[in-house]
Amino acid sequence: MTFDLTLSEDQRQILDAAHAMLETNYPVERFRDGRAAAPGTALAEFGAFTLALPEEDGGAGFTIVEEALLHEAIGRHLAGPFSLASPLAVRMALMAGETGLAASIAAGRTAVCAGVDTAHGALLLEPKGAAHAVIVSDEGIRMTALDGIELVTETPMGHGQPLGRARLPSPGGTDERFPVLVPLASLLVSAQLLGVARGALELAVSYAGVREQFGRRIGSFQAIKHHCANMATGIEMLSAQRDMAAIALRDRRPDAAFQIAALARLAPRIAVLNARLCIQIHGGIGFSAEADAHLYLKHAHVLAALVPASDLLSLPAPLAPTGKE
Amino acid sequence: MRLEPDTGDVAFRLRAREWLAENVPRERPPHEGRPSRDHATAWLARCHKAGWSGLAWPEAHGGQGLSPERLLIWYEEYVRARAPSALDCTFVALNHAGPTLIACGTEAQKSFHLPRILEGRSIWCQGFSEPGAGSDLASLRTFGRIEGDHLVVNGQKIWSSYADIADYQELLIRTEPGSRRHKGLSWVICDMNLPGITVRPIRNMAGVSHFAEVFYDNVRIPLSCVVGAVNDGWSVAMTTLAFERRTAAIALQLELSVKIEDVIALAGAVKGSATAERLADLRAEAAALRAMTYRTLLRPPATPFDGSLMRLVFAELAQRIHQAAIDILGPDALVNGPWTHDYLESYSETIAGGTAEIQRNIIAERILGLPREATG
Repeated sequence: MTFDLTLSEDQRQILDAAHAMLETNYPVERFRDGRAAAPGTALAEFGAFTLALPEEDGGAGFTIVEEALLHEAIGRHLAGPFSLASPLAVRMALMAGETGLAASIAAGRTAVCAGVDTAHGALLLEPKGAAHAVIVSDEGIRMTALDGIELVTETPMGHGQPLGRARLPSPGGTDERFPVLVPLASLLVSAQLLGVARGALELAVSYAGVREQFGRRIGSFQAIKHHCANMATGIEMLSAQRDMAAIALRDRRPDAAFQIAALARLAPRIAVLNARLCIQIHGGIGFSAEADAHLYLKHAHVLAALVPASDLLSLPAPLAPTGKE
Repeated sequence: MRLEPDTGDVAFRLRAREWLAENVPRERPPHEGRPSRDHATAWLARCHKAGWSGLAWPEAHGGQGLSPERLLIWYEEYVRARAPSALDCTFVALNHAGPTLIACGTEAQKSFHLPRILEGRSIWCQGFSEPGAGSDLASLRTFGRIEGDHLVVNGQKIWSSYADIADYQELLIRTEPGSRRHKGLSWVICDMNLPGITVRPIRNMAGVSHFAEVFYDNVRIPLSCVVGAVNDGWSVAMTTLAFERRTAAIALQLELSVKIEDVIALAGAVKGSATAERLADLRAEAAALRAMTYRTLLRPPATPFDGSLMRLVFAELAQRIHQAAIDILGPDALVNGPWTHDYLESYSETIAGGTAEIQRNIIAERILGLPREATG
């Protein structure tokens, strides 16, 4: 077959290994049982930040298709935005010729956080201990050293993951903005949002299968079933589009920009919707900070803020009509 | 995971594109009655003559046996060329009756019917739903009493599309007295010209009559017209579900990628407006539906029920694309133009072939494993 969308043996093995590593090091329960913030080193040791780099750059020689599959698993475990910033930072360091920095980030010795530009300075997500920040903006993606930068701690949404605000130096020319990495950033953050959407569905389904009201498991009620079905259809759309976009970007197909923009349009909406429905299905406990449901919502919002802007309507459609109306 | 057309695929696409550009009828097909049949059969006959009919059917049965990638390529070119909707009066024969006969029919049934279907010489309709058996199909009551080597059928079917112009009907009836639910049913080839059959067309909300009620008053059907075993009709009906879900709807799903482009063109300059946001969402969803279509053909399904995900996404997106067109047209939508007509027709999408609510139940219970609802 010249077309094939099944997972290869390699892809299956990467995902199996990733799930085992994430389950050990980044179980979602870690947010609840007061465990210290998960170290970034487990992901680094797994090679997550260099999976798609060539072997001569210290990578594993896979492609961004495998990387996009991996980032769904990472998102599923709510690993946090550093997991997105780090593989982008390795690439920027390599492109800037800073091979030592690239190797240090790849190995987890140098921590990198993600951030976004706002009208009131950059918002840095989980900045504690980070030496560099990867900032996503409409113009592109850039990396800034945080050494000597004054960081104002902000209270994060729902007292969740730590947040800081900083005045960062203005970016220089396009060589410091890496527009070439924007589609990849869109792909990976969307893949993580897919993981969040899937995690929210799994949590909702497992709760609906045990919680009883009116003498029945609430999952037997159609209202609950239909919420879950809606979550599942969103995931199916998003994961199919993730595969399409990843392949298009890997193969430099002419429709890559379109496929990526469509993916980036869908991902935040579906992830936030699934997280909302997950809370709703949990009822009272879903509104509390004691269940995990709220974590998916907050992570969805954090990742949504990191989706680069794109203008889907301005791009040529791959199935543009050829016939006359 | 790869989507790498080889030189054969590329040449195939060009051949399809060229043929379609020269042969697609320019006029909009008639909506109902004999003219709609004549239009559809002429188009199918033309496709057949050029080797473009029965594309997904096995070659041994007169089809083209196209690979999944070639099917995708053909249907992409088909919708881009604005070829007639695949959901015309040939749809049931090509996508349901034919494949069912291929899977379960006798040699005599196959050799008689399959060529007629492929060449556009016979039109089929479906006889499944009844006034009391809609979403709950297994409660159907139309009964065929066995008398010698005949079934004597009495009862009523409804929502049978193109029954008024069809030659044959795939008729699902109860043949075992006292049987309940999925047991004791038979799948029967019913000749629509038999004595005792009355067809009453029903006007739909778009103002046209392409579906009908069918009444059976002591209709005598030879037992040789039963497909599969007598009383085993449910499993016969289920046999072709996989075919139907994988291939039948490809054209309809991909067609939405063209429809949304037409709506975007209809809207004109919208940059920065709420309409632009809405159209971008719809465009992204149409892209995702195309990606799901690829996935359905190019990867084994995780469960036998995955088709419900596709069906639900398709149905609701089809409606929302047409709703957007109507909103863009404004008061002009009150005139019964093509967009208005298609908009009204789109209301059937979340009802026909399993309502959106039933699809959601299937997804929740069969794919996600949520507890079944107590049934009465």
